[in-house]
Amino acid sequence: MGFELRDHTADVAVAATGDSLEAVFEATADGLAAASCDEIPPETGERFSLTVTAERREALLFDYLGELIYLRDVRAELPVDNRVASIDAPADESDADAEATAWSLEASARGVPLAAVDAREVKAVTYSEMRLESVADGWEAYVVFDV
Amino acid sequence: MTTYDANGITLERVREYVWEIPQEGDMRVPARVLASEALLEQIEDDKTLEQIKNTTHLPGITDHAICMPDGHQGYGFPVGGVGALDAENGCISPGAVGYDINCGVRMMRTNLTYDEVQGHEEELVDSLFANVPSGLGGGGIVEAGVDTVDEILARGVDWALENGHAVEDDLLHCEDEGMREGADPDKVSQKAKDRGKNQIGSLGSGNHFLEVQRVTDVFDGEVGEAYGLSEDQIVVLIHCGSRGLGHQTCNDYLRKIEQQHEGLLNQLPDAELAAAPAGSQLAEDYYAAMNAAINFAWVNRQLIMHRTRQVFERVFDRSWEEMDMHLLYDVAHNIAKKETHTVGEDGEERELYVHRKGATRAFPAGHPEVPKAYRDVGQPVIIPGSMGAGSYVLRGGENSMDLTFGSTAHGAGRLMSRTQAKNEFWGGDVQQDLEEQNQIYVKAQSGATVAEEAPGVYKDVDEVVRVSDALGIGDKVARTFPVCNIKG
Repeated sequence: MGFELRDHTADVAVAATGDSLEAVFEATADGLAAASCDEIPPETGERFSLTVTAERREALLFDYLGELIYLRDVRAELPVDNRVASIDAPADESDADAEATAWSLEASARGVPLAAVDAREVKAVTYSEMRLESVADGWEAYVVFDV
Repeated sequence: MTTYDANGITLERVREYVWEIPQEGDMRVPARVLASEALLEQIEDDKTLEQIKNTTHLPGITDHAICMPDGHQGYGFPVGGVGALDAENGCISPGAVGYDINCGVRMMRTNLTYDEVQGHEEELVDSLFANVPSGLGGGGIVEAGVDTVDEILARGVDWALENGHAVEDDLLHCEDEGMREGADPDKVSQKAKDRGKNQIGSLGSGNHFLEVQRVTDVFDGEVGEAYGLSEDQIVVLIHCGSRGLGHQTCNDYLRKIEQQHEGLLNQLPDAELAAAPAGSQLAEDYYAAMNAAINFAWVNRQLIMHRTRQVFERVFDRSWEEMDMHLLYDVAHNIAKKETHTVGEDGEERELYVHRKGATRAFPAGHPEVPKAYRDVGQPVIIPGSMGAGSYVLRGGENSMDLTFGSTAHGAGRLMSRTQAKNEFWGGDVQQDLEEQNQIYVKAQSGATVAEEAPGVYKDVDEVVRVSDALGIGDKVARTFPVCNIKG
């Protein structure tokens, strides 16, 4: 369980696995950090939290990774050691008491100041060739990032 | 009929360097690939041909989807893709423009010769590296509040002129005089503005760079003279785009399209081709936001160029005006523009969203949208090569309007993945080899970037330009060779 950086002519792809949906999201986000930086310092930086919502499971992964890229630019920190505390599915529409109508995610990351790392820019997450699939022993994801 | 079998996709030869993938299944038009067999061999195993086929599924695509000679696999659209989509009954696709809206190149002339620069290379590369922000988190030349960002988005290089970062002549030598009409800052999200406000005047990283070059060959003396180019002359080439502001804008609109036009999206073979139907509010909004991001990118390159003038002033101890440091031209190569083209067998004039993703506009002599300074000879086209190879200046060719909606290539085109590049090259070795063998001085924020951008990871730019020239879509004018290069 974890991630691999995969060859792509122009960009970078991350193939990730996890024994839960939360774990595969975490591994994909760590793959994004690895695509940005070869040597991540082990202790530098403070943790921060983020919340993301989206209408579909794949869109939640897209928006989560997009939010990490956005936060990298505005906080001037590379998000690493990603933790996804929970992913909640939309409530069943037949349940009149249910409130949630979208997928949602609670996560955190350690923000390493960009000045402290030799990092390069990943521009964006893409939907191209994106896969997020349930498999026998958990989940698999494949995401291409624009570099 | 001559055919070329590329791992299950058969291309039919239409004429020399023009190959067609016939229409089949849900393709709305055939796809065309402009390439020699040597260039075809380099893309037959990746997804380039599948991606140009996918592009033909977009509603309103006209005549052909076309892959330029430097085309290679990207996401959604291939890099090097041109697609003209009907502006009344078709659509506009953020993914077919790309995340880096108005990524492009500009070239600045000088009257310095290579002899005058030799001996100053290290000082020059160090000073450029210290004064032109690059890399991730390197800041920008200008730090702006939201009001300033809005002004830049609305007015483009005109803002730079008013604030002392440009001269009038710069505007006259930029596509659209450095300002897209119809740009609306209100259609650009706050998140995009937040990303962009600290990056105004910065190279970024990846394949973006600033390079001092010397002109080694002038192939067309008359056009070279019109462009102000002569052998042994020093020029400066700047390659970058709209930074995080553009990336976020593309991201935002892809998601809006996904939410509002799911029906159209479901017809497409790749979600990254997501498109808003022409005439819809979202199509209008994206076009206005994209135009604003285009203006932002032009200001970005303008600020870097103006800072470069100041660096040259210090290194060579004379004013930039004395060194005749004037903009030759600035071209976008990730863009969609509403243009009128003659299409179909009956020669109908139609307004189209011409998407050029990793492709350069290449309008020929006489076209009314070529700046007055170059209208008699054709629009300059700048084709950057790798940091160990030459770059080219072309002019828009006579056949470009018939063959490519007025477009040609945008660079050498990648051949090798970044991960493979890092396995095969070490940044320090690449830097040392370039300096010792070719007298090219390179300075970068990251050694990994140097490895990823090593000369060996790119196609042969000479072959790309040879095909463009032979097709008459972009004619060779001059060739340049690196002197020093900075990157993120």
